[in-house]
Amino acid sequence: MSALSRFVAAVALLAFAGPILGADPLHARIDKQIAAGFGANAKHIAPRAGDDEFLRRVYLDLVGTTPTVAELNEFLADSAKDKRAKLIDKLLASPGHARRMAWHLDVMLMERGADSKVPRAAWEAYLVAAFAENKPYDALVRELLSADGSDPKTRPAAKFFLDRNLEPHAVTKDIGRIFLGRNMQCAQCHDHPTVDDYKQADYYGIQAFLNRSFLFPNANVPTAVIAEKAEGDVSFMSVFDKNKKLNSTAPRMPGGKPIEEPKAEKGKEYKVAPAANVKPVPTYSRREQLAGAVTSAENKAFARNAANRVWAMMMGRGIVHPVDVDHGNNRPSHPELLNELAAEFVAHKYDMKWLVREIALSDVYQRSSETPAGLDDPPADRYLVAIMKPLTPEQFAYAAMQATGHTDAERAALGAKWTEAQLDARLAPRLGPFRAMLGRGGDATADTFSSTLDQTLFLKYGSAVRGLLTPRAGNLTDRLNKITNPDAVADELFAAVFSRRPTADERKDVADALKNTTDRGKTINEMVWALVASAEFRFNH
Amino acid sequence: MDIPPPRPVLDPTTARVEREFKHVRPLIGCRFDPSGRFLFATAEDDSVQRFDLLTGTRTAFVGHTSWARGMAFVAPNPTAAPMDASAWQKAQAAAQSLVGFGVAALPAPKAAPFTLVTADYHGKLIWWQGDSDAPKPLKTVAAHDGYARAVAVSPDGATVASCGNDQKVKLWKAADGTAIRTLEGHESHVYNLAFHPNGTRLVSCDLKGVVKDWNLKTGKSERDLDAKILTKYDPGFMADIGGARGMAFKADGSAFAVCGITNVSNAFAGVGNPLAVTFDWDSGKAKQLKPKDAFQGTMWGVAFHPGGAVLGAGGGGQGRVWFWKGDDPASAHVLTVPANARDLALSSDGARFAIAGSNGTAYVYNFSGTGPVPQMPKKK
Amino acid sequence: MLPCNYACNTADHATTRRAFLGSAVGATAALGMAGFANPAHAAELKKAQKRVLVIFLEGGVSQLETWDPKPNTDTGGPFKAIQTSVAGTSICELLPLSAKQMHRIALVRSLNSQTDDHGVGHNVMLTGRKMEPGIVYPHLGAVSARLLGSNANALPGHIRILPKGGSGFNGADATFLGPKFASVGLGDGKPPADLFRPGNLTATEDDERDAFRKRLDQRFAKSRKSAATDAYTESFTQAERVVKQAAVFDVDKEPAKIADKYGRHDFGRHMLLARRLLEAGVTYVKVSHSNYDTHHENFDFHIEQLGEFDRPFAALLDDLADRGMLDSTLVVVMSEMGRTPRINDRYGRDHWGRAWSVALAGAGIKGGAVVGKTNANGTAIADREVWSGHLFHTYLQAVGLDSTKNFYPNERPVPIADPKAAAITEVLA
Repeated sequence: MSALSRFVAAVALLAFAGPILGADPLHARIDKQIAAGFGANAKHIAPRAGDDEFLRRVYLDLVGTTPTVAELNEFLADSAKDKRAKLIDKLLASPGHARRMAWHLDVMLMERGADSKVPRAAWEAYLVAAFAENKPYDALVRELLSADGSDPKTRPAAKFFLDRNLEPHAVTKDIGRIFLGRNMQCAQCHDHPTVDDYKQADYYGIQAFLNRSFLFPNANVPTAVIAEKAEGDVSFMSVFDKNKKLNSTAPRMPGGKPIEEPKAEKGKEYKVAPAANVKPVPTYSRREQLAGAVTSAENKAFARNAANRVWAMMMGRGIVHPVDVDHGNNRPSHPELLNELAAEFVAHKYDMKWLVREIALSDVYQRSSETPAGLDDPPADRYLVAIMKPLTPEQFAYAAMQATGHTDAERAALGAKWTEAQLDARLAPRLGPFRAMLGRGGDATADTFSSTLDQTLFLKYGSAVRGLLTPRAGNLTDRLNKITNPDAVADELFAAVFSRRPTADERKDVADALKNTTDRGKTINEMVWALVASAEFRFNH
Repeated sequence: MDIPPPRPVLDPTTARVEREFKHVRPLIGCRFDPSGRFLFATAEDDSVQRFDLLTGTRTAFVGHTSWARGMAFVAPNPTAAPMDASAWQKAQAAAQSLVGFGVAALPAPKAAPFTLVTADYHGKLIWWQGDSDAPKPLKTVAAHDGYARAVAVSPDGATVASCGNDQKVKLWKAADGTAIRTLEGHESHVYNLAFHPNGTRLVSCDLKGVVKDWNLKTGKSERDLDAKILTKYDPGFMADIGGARGMAFKADGSAFAVCGITNVSNAFAGVGNPLAVTFDWDSGKAKQLKPKDAFQGTMWGVAFHPGGAVLGAGGGGQGRVWFWKGDDPASAHVLTVPANARDLALSSDGARFAIAGSNGTAYVYNFSGTGPVPQMPKKK
Repeated sequence: MLPCNYACNTADHATTRRAFLGSAVGATAALGMAGFANPAHAAELKKAQKRVLVIFLEGGVSQLETWDPKPNTDTGGPFKAIQTSVAGTSICELLPLSAKQMHRIALVRSLNSQTDDHGVGHNVMLTGRKMEPGIVYPHLGAVSARLLGSNANALPGHIRILPKGGSGFNGADATFLGPKFASVGLGDGKPPADLFRPGNLTATEDDERDAFRKRLDQRFAKSRKSAATDAYTESFTQAERVVKQAAVFDVDKEPAKIADKYGRHDFGRHMLLARRLLEAGVTYVKVSHSNYDTHHENFDFHIEQLGEFDRPFAALLDDLADRGMLDSTLVVVMSEMGRTPRINDRYGRDHWGRAWSVALAGAGIKGGAVVGKTNANGTAIADREVWSGHLFHTYLQAVGLDSTKNFYPNERPVPIADPKAAAITEVLA
């Protein structure tokens, strides 16, 4: 396809998929589509979440931590009708949102693998900067898939490839999973036996973009960069094929047309010819075609998967679920909604912040997670009740620091001129143990969550949590120690940790505990721990 | 063969290979018999090989069913005079020039009778007629539970001492192998032992570098001397390495030496430095004798030359013989030998030394200063 | 292949969320659907809870100084072969006590593990697979914990006792089976730090705060409850049970008489701890004994190391038998490779995977069996060559598992053991 025809096609697609003039905003259409799927359960849907429930949820989802007591009080006291929308906009505009999205994208892209060639700090800084400027998602992915690591300025973007050592099967599989929502691992050896959509030729079509690329000088060098040869094709043979026929394919996206490749003129295959200790540069680069092919509007799987992933981040499960198993035998729970989200995401130029905002504004997002009476074991894919999402290790760490007042104490220590960046620089170093312990094997979703013995013991006896409980000026235990009225203790405790008011029963529990204690400080410490270790805190409910 | 008399002062630079005895299997230990005519070497095929320096003939002593290293001799008292190799050789040469080559050679002179005692990995000691033409085990004693690492014979020839992995030192009647006494006190494998020339004391050294000075009258250890520099527990491999691989007394009894490996950084690759430690007999004061070259390996044998020098031999990647003279703790001379030296033998007159090569060859050196100059170690 | 529906919402599925470390039920939906989770099979396993003990002689033990001596040959070294309790079977003299246990032990003397590399050998021996790109196979410990473990037990199902170093959870050895089957490592037999209540938290305080947490969780569960929240709150109950059982990790609780039998040294203590853990219901324990990488002075070092190994090993077999556990506990003595028949110039033996031996005993093993042989001086396999894949099938079948079934990580069937190999039936009872 020529550049001109590509441009025409893109314009045509854009026109086709453009925002529907005069239509309801997306969040309203989301609610229509979801409501259409209620069926017989329509009368059992959970009510709108209370302000406190909404506040905690939206803080965790948008900025990755819980609100301060002051923020809670302010929000609860606010009588404005549009206070939720205002809060959403405030959070989306805050530095915390870029940090939260960077955490999310880091795990999505790197899946908590070991950092090898691109250091964590540079990578996180790159992602934070991208979200701070709300870089369109397609542009971000183009950077990830085109950087070769040779320019120090763009080297962090090459982490996706470099830290996978550009291992052909790893990168092929992960491009399929992470950007197209298709886990085609089986197709490495044969067409998927039960999934008609996953073809071996599709798998190798992706691999063909990269089969000429390699790490220079070699994968063992931490500063290695991506280099490419001018020749070489993928070949594959089904393990089921008795005739052992060897196949090949030009680079192409699954279901798409092969890239038309220029015929290399003899002797002019290279800009820089291969030689010992020389990084070759081919005249025509297959790898350079990859970023465009993946993010092309023709490659519908890209926007569809991206929209589905943002949905899953906010809602606790994908419309296609799991998010990397998009195929005919695993239907979306709401196919039209997914199409609409994808089309709107493209129409809004892959604006992640916009998509997050629309979802956050929807009724379905703002539904309570309390199971209404008469609804037993609601089917998760109907969204009758908000799904409780386990906090990610980063959310847990930041929420625990906020809940225990560690964040407050650090902020106070910075003085009146504190900045978010300064505060974050003090908090981020404490992430390590939480990531290492709670983040094993990627991030758990609501239906893959478990807490292993070591994780629970880490919360129970480990120093990372207990270290936050020691009284210091301005932290929660310090504040509670200074409050004499038991009800006021309960109010501050529940506001700080659970972002809500205590119930009468809870106030009584606190009062009883304080009445019977011989060591008030210790009892306060125990209560803070109990709240932090509770299910209510562990989940974004 | 024309050998000059031993020099009063040893000149190590005159060391030359006089003879090579090739055996089919790697050698383990070597000793000259008291007369200096025979070199005995033990090998990985469980045999003891006797090399006749006079005639070049080789005789296998077969009887061990395991590897042996320890060897000691019970010789008529006083010790037989040093071999006079030149007389027979001169006669032989004269006969050949008279009658022409190809005629039957003169029969070699008979050696004076002596007894050889050898010790093996199965804890056995075997008594042999050392000069026999058809040697057979005369007596086999199950001496130790596990490896009997060394034997020694008292200066009066009456007592054989042995030591082994059962942590024991045992004394036997040299005449018939009956047990005399067991000396207990070591707390690890006993690697080596030697009689004081005055015959009243016996020293033994174990894996952990503990040297015991046994009073042979009482059977009690009079003192412990510290050779722990020759031992290490390698925490990486969780195993001990060390012990006295070689041990020798100075003829006048004023000192003895032990040798082995020190500074071990990797026991299982044998990364460490060879070291000899001499002890002043009266004061018990230790002195380290180190190779001048930065060599990695083990010192497997040590000997006091009658001319006053100390010799050590050993190997790691290559074989070495080191010479120390006077008070210099660094070796005065280093000789590269063709194989890992797994043992060092010095003839009683100091005229020859030999090494037991890991390549199966015993190399006999003299101090003739003639013949090819031995290869010097490469500078690093 | 069994298709797997990720989105299934069956009760089975929900219970998998509640499964805990060491449970037989999978951590993920894909595993929950694997053939092994069906109740009939689970009941069968419960009847005779099987366990696995691997004694791993790190560095590569010499087969010539252990199970396949070649005395008085050019490769044999100085040691003799001794008669064992099985007529016609001799082993090296360095294992006199093990020799008396030979009627309980089966030997495979014809193992070609096809690698002379420590890391590769370790992996190959514990996974029964050659290393391949694109997939990392779980270790025997994770497979055992996954397939043999019981929900009834709160203790971890996969424990490694290491000669030294720190203790911690989550060895990188469960791969797609999930972290709950990853090993808990006990450096020098010491339990992981967070297993014990910190010194500045009294038992009363701990109980109080946990009671407070429980009350909060109970209230929360009245209106908000999911498999995930249940799994979380349940994990504290389970953790508490493990903490209460922390004494299981304390080998000093064993009678002195028993400890004497195992030998009063680190490895003896580690072996005794292994038995203690197995007895308490831990599915798989691996005890490592270090070190056998004897490029230098192979013979002296084998005297020392095997001297340390022999007594606890024999004591353990007796102890398991005395407690009626031997029939249900598979014991394997392995290494990452053997050592060269050739003796080098430093009395060492080097790396060698081509022809060496593994010993098995206990559950499902035909004591006294000797399978395969090497030639006269041990330089080649003369009969019944097997590799690690055969052994992996053998281990699983010995504990009553069908090693020809699959796991289903990410919907993809992954055979539990290498389909190109099969069990060595001659050693199976």
